[in-house]
Amino acid sequence: MAAIGIDTVVKAYGATPVIHGISLSVRDGEFAVLVGPSGCGKSTLLRMIAGLESITGGAIHIGERVVNDLPPRDRDIAMVFQDYALYPHKSVAENIGFGLKMRGADAVTIEKKVKEAAQILQIGHLLDRKPGQLSGGQRQRVAMGRAIVREPKVFLFDEPLSNLDAHLRGEMRAEIKKLHQRFGTTILYVTHDQVEAMTLADRIAILRGGHLEQFDTPDTIYRQPVSTFVAGFVGSPAMNFIPATIAADGTALDLPGGVRLAAPEALRPRLTGLARKPVTLGLRPEHIGLDAGGSAPLTARVTLVEPLGAETLALVRIGTVEVTGRFPPDSGLKPGADIALSVQLQRAHIFDPETGRAL
Amino acid sequence: MSTIRHRLTPLEKADRRLGFAMLAPAFLLLSAVVLYPIIDLIRTSFTFLHLAQPWMGNPFVGFENYARALGDGRFHEAVWHTVLYIVVTVPGAVVLGLGLALLANKPFTIKWPVRLGLLLPWALPLVFSGMIFRWFFEYNQGIANAIVRGLGFQPLNWLSDPNLAFFTICLAIIWKSSSFVALVLLAGLQTIPRSYYEAAEVDGASDWQQFREITLPMLRPAIFVALIFRTITAIQTFDIPYAMTNGGPGNSTETLAMYIHKTTVDFLDIGYGSALAVLMFIVSAVITTGYLKYTRRDPGRH
Ligand SMILES: Nc1ncnc2c1ncn2[C@@H]1O[C@H](COP(=O)(O)OP(=O)(O)O)[C@@H](O)[C@H]1O
Ligand SMILES: [Mg+2]
Repeated sequence: MAAIGIDTVVKAYGATPVIHGISLSVRDGEFAVLVGPSGCGKSTLLRMIAGLESITGGAIHIGERVVNDLPPRDRDIAMVFQDYALYPHKSVAENIGFGLKMRGADAVTIEKKVKEAAQILQIGHLLDRKPGQLSGGQRQRVAMGRAIVREPKVFLFDEPLSNLDAHLRGEMRAEIKKLHQRFGTTILYVTHDQVEAMTLADRIAILRGGHLEQFDTPDTIYRQPVSTFVAGFVGSPAMNFIPATIAADGTALDLPGGVRLAAPEALRPRLTGLARKPVTLGLRPEHIGLDAGGSAPLTARVTLVEPLGAETLALVRIGTVEVTGRFPPDSGLKPGADIALSVQLQRAHIFDPETGRAL
Repeated sequence: MSTIRHRLTPLEKADRRLGFAMLAPAFLLLSAVVLYPIIDLIRTSFTFLHLAQPWMGNPFVGFENYARALGDGRFHEAVWHTVLYIVVTVPGAVVLGLGLALLANKPFTIKWPVRLGLLLPWALPLVFSGMIFRWFFEYNQGIANAIVRGLGFQPLNWLSDPNLAFFTICLAIIWKSSSFVALVLLAGLQTIPRSYYEAAEVDGASDWQQFREITLPMLRPAIFVALIFRTITAIQTFDIPYAMTNGGPGNSTETLAMYIHKTTVDFLDIGYGSALAVLMFIVSAVITTGYLKYTRRDPGRH
């Protein structure tokens, strides 16, 4: 087991920079997830840690060692690839034992460890099959078996679940989390799926265009996003962003269409110094709901209703802006109807409309 | 492939009619230039036809020509030489071609030398390749003897010593045919996903282990295709020994195809030559059928 230190790491392909000086450190035994939209450099960063890409600038540590110039085989890591990289001409047992065999382990040890790993992953009955005879989920397990038999210091995963259907994804997610709880080995896991990131991670690193936006616990990322990008990336349905102006006395927000929202006491300290300034107001759907006889209800018109069973999502119009709200399943919302809305403004996020940074 | 037959829809029937109509010209052309000559060859092989003895006509002689082949020492030798060429040059070309393909598959910044080395032998006509090698190994002015002399040895009879002549011809054939093998294997190499090697790298496999555990087994089907095609062309070996030694010294480097050529074109013995050609055709056909059977097997079942 080992910590991973990434110190102002830069990657450029020719003259094109793709990673712009990222620093973050993953603690020993931590489950860290790198998440971000496609093309933001997640795989590149992971592959630099694995040693499959050269490092243009900065340093990467695994444990005590700087690994910049170490070949992959000397870094004591195991990696699970998006396409699993299982050898079609080898049996499941040979695939799982491949790393041990390459490192010169004897046949008895290999067999014993392969059996153990297969048992943990519940693929003991598949050991004689070829990968071509397995389902997607089974292949995924074999790929993980191949990683765990090596007992490396660090596991690296590159979008391991993206080739599975939604049901299997959920199942394998739980399996990976269990493995981490069982072995406690440091994991760095890449995904573009924010749900995977939120459910698996001890800490999430959000990447955007080769920059690190935020690195924190899922809870902090969700409650205190540092930017509109992070705020919009985590949470489903996504946070509502509403252009607004702070009133001259700093006690209210003016929304487009002449709607004025009084700022609750809890919010006011954050509005000081912003009087008359345009801001982006960020509101999570769960903080928009039906008014239960509160003080200052807001009138809104329902434009779209999406019943999901456990809850109902609805698109409602406040003034001239449309926002998504979360409602109880029995709210009886009808498109076209006017409803009394309550907005928990004390939970709102205020962003700079120019930079997208939280204020 | 599904084996369920279903009734053709009207659209499919129209498609099929159009398909047959478009195939017809090619079929007629192939019949004229391939099918007819083969049938005529087989017919001729059962007759006596000697252009130097036109008064004998073209009588049917049954298996006489084939019986003659059984007792013909020069025919036996030509078969034996052909077998030797196959045994030496087929594996030789596959090994050299594999080396070239591995080289060409490496991410060199300067690619043209490898590409040239790969494509040049392929682009040269066979006879031309044979002539180049004949010049290389020519006794007085050839580059081979220049090197031998430079090293302080007596020049060698590269083309007039039976064993050396066989050796130099094999070299020329291997060089010439390695291109084709390399192209087939390069195509095979490029279907192997990069992640296989990356995973092996992370798992601690050395370059040699990666070659043995991934490249070679994954390349097996391509190697097999190259072997079969190379074998079929090796059965027909003609141009290079023809250009280098014309079968000599004596007939020590003569192949079956060369003997057939001599029998028909030089000796004008069309009937006997046809029988020999049919024998060669049968051997090629047997090997091709074996190859087709192998490739039709379910690839996931071995
Ligand atoms: N070999 C390469 N050469 C040039 N650009 C590359 C190469 N590999 C990746 N990139 C670029 O680097 C950026 C990050 O890629 P990647 O790390 O694969 O993104 P992600 O995994 O987050 O989807 C992309 O813009 C991609 O086009
Ligand atoms: Mg990626």
